[in-house]
Amino acid sequence: MVTFIRQCARGRTFLGLFKEIKQQQRSYPAPPKRFYKKTGIIYSDGTYEVTLDHRKLKTPKGNVMKLDKEMLALAVAAEWDAQKGEIQQSTMHITSLCNTALENPNNITKPEAVQTLLNYLENDAILFFSHEEEMHALQQKEWDPVIKWFCERFKVSIQPTRDLGGVEIPVTTKEIIRKHLLSYDLASMHGFLLAVECLKSLILTICCIDHKLNVTQAVLLSRLEEEYQTGHWGRVEWAHDIAQADLQARVAAAVMFVHINSMSEETKTLLASKFR
Amino acid sequence: MNTHLKCLRHLLSEIRQATSDRKLKDTPVVSYIFHQYKRFQVTDQQLCKAQDEMACLANTYVTYLQSVRKYKDLLTSYQSAGERSVEKTAEMVGFKLPHDPK
Repeated sequence: MVTFIRQCARGRTFLGLFKEIKQQQRSYPAPPKRFYKKTGIIYSDGTYEVTLDHRKLKTPKGNVMKLDKEMLALAVAAEWDAQKGEIQQSTMHITSLCNTALENPNNITKPEAVQTLLNYLENDAILFFSHEEEMHALQQKEWDPVIKWFCERFKVSIQPTRDLGGVEIPVTTKEIIRKHLLSYDLASMHGFLLAVECLKSLILTICCIDHKLNVTQAVLLSRLEEEYQTGHWGRVEWAHDIAQADLQARVAAAVMFVHINSMSEETKTLLASKFR
Repeated sequence: MNTHLKCLRHLLSEIRQATSDRKLKDTPVVSYIFHQYKRFQVTDQQLCKAQDEMACLANTYVTYLQSVRKYKDLLTSYQSAGERSVEKTAEMVGFKLPHDPK
C-alpha cells in the first residue's frame, strides 16, 4: 500500500528524483493580474459595453464587446468584478458565452446548430436505462416523469430503451422539436449547444429552459448514475464535487444566456409603463 | 412573495462574496436587481408570467454564482498547492504511513 501511495505522490521525498520531477512539471502561463479597480457598463449606439475602469472590454478578436441586453452586460461586468487578484478566464462562463455568440468562431448557422442538437436526441443520456435492477428502478423513478412531461409538452412519443442499439426517434417527433428550436435566435443556439454538451441530454436542456426543472435538478438527473455509484462507494470531494460544481456553473450560464436572449421586450416595456 | 425575498437574499449574499467592492449598493448589478425587483413587484393574486420568468432567472443566477464560488474554493483547496507529499496523499485516502517508510 505504501508503494501505491508513494506512486501517487510520485516519490517526491527522494531528493535525487526531485530535480527530475521539477523538470517534468508543466509550466502554464501565469494568469493575468487584475489591472482594474471598478467595472461598469455604458450604453452607446443601442448596445451595452462593459468597462474596466476607463478601458472597454474587448472580445478575443480585439473588437469592443457590444451586447444587446443590459442584463448580459451587467452579468459580464459582475463576473469581471468577481476576479480577485488574478483573472481566471476559465471560470467566466457568461463572458465566454457572450464572446462565442458575438464572434461565432465556428461560423455556425441556425439550421446547422439545430441539426447538431437534434443529433443528440437519439443518444440522449436519459433515454438509456440500466440493466442493473436497483439502478433501473431509480432511473424509472427519476427520469420517467421528465420524459413523460416532455412527450406531453410537445405531443410526441419517445420510448427509452435498455438496449445498446439506440433509440428510434420518429421523423415527426424530430420535426416538431426542430420547429421548436428554430423559434429561438442564433445567439440562444450557442447557449443551447453548451447546455446540451454539458448535460448530454437535449430533453433535460429543454426542460430546464422551459422552467420545468431548475439547473440543480437537471444536473442531478444528468449525473444520476454517478450519484448512485457515489452513494455506494463513497463520495470524493476533490473529484465528484468539483465536477458537479463545474457542470452546474456551465449549465446555469447557458440557461441564463438563453433566457436573457429570448426574453420578449414587449412584455417588459408594457410592464414597465404599468408598474413604474 | 416570501420565496422571492429569499431568492433576493441569496442573490445579495452571493454577490457580496463575489464582488471586490466594499459598498454593495454601488455595484451596477445590485442597483439593477433592486430596480427589477421593484418593477416586477405585483400582487400575489395576479398570475404574471413575466414575474415567473424573472424569478426563474434570479434563481438561475444564484445557482451560477454559488457553483462558480464552490468550484473555485474546491480547486484552490485541493489543487493549487502543486503536488502533495507522501504523507498528505496517504492522509487524503485515510491511511497513515508506517514510521519508517522505505
